[in-house]
Amino acid sequence: MDIRRHRLDNGLRVAAIPIPGLQSAAVLLAIEAGQWFEPIGRPGIGRLCALAMLRGTTTRDAKAWADALDGIGAAARLDVGSHAATFSAQSLGSDLDVLLELMADAVVRPAFAPTEVELVREQTVAQIEEDAKNTRAVAESAWRELVYPKGHPFRVRPIGDLDVVRAASADDLRDYHRRAIRPDGAVLVVAGGVDAEQVFDGSARAFATWRAGGTREERTVPEARLVTAVRKLEIVPDKTQSDVVLGWPGLPRTDPRFVAARVSNMVFAADTFASRVGHVVRDELGLAYYVFSTLGGSRGQSPWVVRMGVNPINVERAVSTTLDELRKIVDGKVTEDDLELAQDKLVGELDVARESPAGVASLLLEGEIFELGPDYAERYPRELRAVRLEQVVEIARTFLQPDRHALAIAGPPLPERD
Amino acid sequence: MHALEARHAPVVSLWVWYQVGGRNEVPGTTGMSHFLEHMLFKGTPRHPKGDLDKLLARYGALWNAFTSEDVTCYFETVPAERYPVALELEADRMRNALITEEETNAERNVIVSEREGLENDPSFLLGEQLQAVAFSRHPYAQGVIGSKEEIKLMTRDGLYAHYRRHYAPNNAYFIVAGDAPASELLDRAAAAFGPLDAEVPIEPPKAPEPPQYGERRVIVRRAGGALPIIQIGHKAPRAADPRAPALSALAVALAGATAGGGEAASGRSARLYRALVDTGLATTVDASFSLMKDPYLFVVEAHLRPGVTHDRVEHVILDELEKIARSPLTDSEFGRVRRQMLSASAFMTDTITWRAWRFGQLLATGAAASLGGWYDRLAAVTAEDVRSAADSVFREKGRTVGWFVPEPS
Repeated sequence: MDIRRHRLDNGLRVAAIPIPGLQSAAVLLAIEAGQWFEPIGRPGIGRLCALAMLRGTTTRDAKAWADALDGIGAAARLDVGSHAATFSAQSLGSDLDVLLELMADAVVRPAFAPTEVELVREQTVAQIEEDAKNTRAVAESAWRELVYPKGHPFRVRPIGDLDVVRAASADDLRDYHRRAIRPDGAVLVVAGGVDAEQVFDGSARAFATWRAGGTREERTVPEARLVTAVRKLEIVPDKTQSDVVLGWPGLPRTDPRFVAARVSNMVFAADTFASRVGHVVRDELGLAYYVFSTLGGSRGQSPWVVRMGVNPINVERAVSTTLDELRKIVDGKVTEDDLELAQDKLVGELDVARESPAGVASLLLEGEIFELGPDYAERYPRELRAVRLEQVVEIARTFLQPDRHALAIAGPPLPERD
Repeated sequence: MHALEARHAPVVSLWVWYQVGGRNEVPGTTGMSHFLEHMLFKGTPRHPKGDLDKLLARYGALWNAFTSEDVTCYFETVPAERYPVALELEADRMRNALITEEETNAERNVIVSEREGLENDPSFLLGEQLQAVAFSRHPYAQGVIGSKEEIKLMTRDGLYAHYRRHYAPNNAYFIVAGDAPASELLDRAAAAFGPLDAEVPIEPPKAPEPPQYGERRVIVRRAGGALPIIQIGHKAPRAADPRAPALSALAVALAGATAGGGEAASGRSARLYRALVDTGLATTVDASFSLMKDPYLFVVEAHLRPGVTHDRVEHVILDELEKIARSPLTDSEFGRVRRQMLSASAFMTDTITWRAWRFGQLLATGAAASLGGWYDRLAAVTAEDVRSAADSVFREKGRTVGWFVPEPS
């Protein structure tokens, strides 16, 4: 891949990956304004601010901004995760300048008009109410409360706390925006049918006036630690299936063991077909339609969780089978073939991701935002290949202790346990 | 067999589209095509169970399968040097799948679990009911996954007979797209699938839907959801109908080219978004015209804000549908619709997997014989075509209205 980099005066880092032969360009703007950076006691303020940024600017009201975006046929969304608020978009390459200008307008000059803030607040309140009946969301929330102490940024899902959402004023959002939506630490990645100069010139024009508003608020984050197995069952009425979240606090993306952890995750449960848990729980025993694990990447202990959808009568067996597979890894009963399969899968996925501009941009983003080095894209496959079996076992023993897990189940009542 | 060159990445995507789905089933065996789809991952004599999964996993493949009312589809996107293996795997399982009693029973639980997961979703429950009420004779009424009871009754022998009858080269489209000359892609495909025997040609199901003489309604009441939902389906023409491109444009005019909750920034200039979301009546709204072999439904779905009544939102939706059927889109509106369709086509073309998917979908449903042909027809749509298509579809006599009404826990 032909990767070109540039840094604007305000600190925004820009990476361009021209791909000859394509008509469109994928754009990812990741701002360090995820949950990790939210003020203590204000979970959800980040997402609310992001949604309000899409509802009009000081130069265009919400309708004019939406007309302009649809006028170039772009697809765009703004999501808040554990580490970043990520504006992801795609347009024709010839429309890149207009797209960047519209993105910058929303990011740099949001109006936070009271009626628009009220609209996104009510939308968010409705979503939180809906999530209270959604078994996946309920299980996820319950799991976070089991694992993360009060005051931890990951204790609540990114959608936030109902009281915080209800109380936030337009001025609160404006204040949060000034402090958190800043170019230092932010990364813009553009891949596709564009040339690098077009990207650098367009981003310079669009984002030149973006300035950081004061210093970042320092936040002390308490450690998340499981000292025993903990469990919570949430009954959600009129549901057929139980959603299960089983997991542990993970490790920061900047931890030198992270790549080994990612390989361990693949050996354990990341993929329904390439990992041990999927093979046994779904393929051999037929206990679940979906079962997979994810390891989040942030500056903190993001969730490292296995998720599955299971009939209530099979929940205990599916969970104990998953933990049995984990014990095998912890006990060193993992084979070179397991490891090689996991590494092949992870490296092969990097090749396949190159099929689309969005895939190429995503490949770059992690290395750019966590400043993993200009050679990261080239180095990363080698790092995956270099992980040894002993590291997988050590990672599992350190981070995935079978007897110190958190288990959350949401759905119908479970049958009586023996 | 069709091949498309796409040389921007070292990747090849292969798709097999079997002409069998929910449409080919009769009561008592609904869900059979979908069940069979699961069984195609259980091995062949040459590639025992686990071979395919592990090989494709090792390649880092993007791969899966799905079943719809019309088709059952299998695909793999793999690094270019691996595609001959993926091709061999697909050709092998076209005729040689091992469907054993033991694996059938084990997979039954997985499919029941899939069904139960869907039942947790109020939107699925309402959609299933809406479809059942909208069609009185056509098998589209049955949906795809089948009832839990029928899944439990499915036999190995029934599945195997369904497999042998429908899985043959003369009942499938094969699409390959990627980083090799089209002639090479085609030659290899011919070598893989050419030796396979054809089956007796299958007559399409003959169960035309009789005319509908007035609006139909259905209500689903459950505690398993907090927000009320409305779905309104209007009988719409098949993919091969000349109005299909205009109906695709109509869906964009009503709800944008991309859907996706509060985080989505695009599609907000669309009529229903403005009428329902901007006004605080709904949290999300979508409109879809599906390319289908037989006449199906143009569906509008809205998730209501708490406290907003179904009546009110239904009235607003029907009012908007009537307006768009009465007067053409303004020039600026139509300009946005055209740009969204043009861009969406480019986004799809620039991703090898989706380029192959789109081509297969057009062929399998009879919408067009080539990607270029379809895009040309989309580009030729006029504002008057959109109005006229809306006018022909949004009629009370072809309407089915569904409400999901949340009940107290």
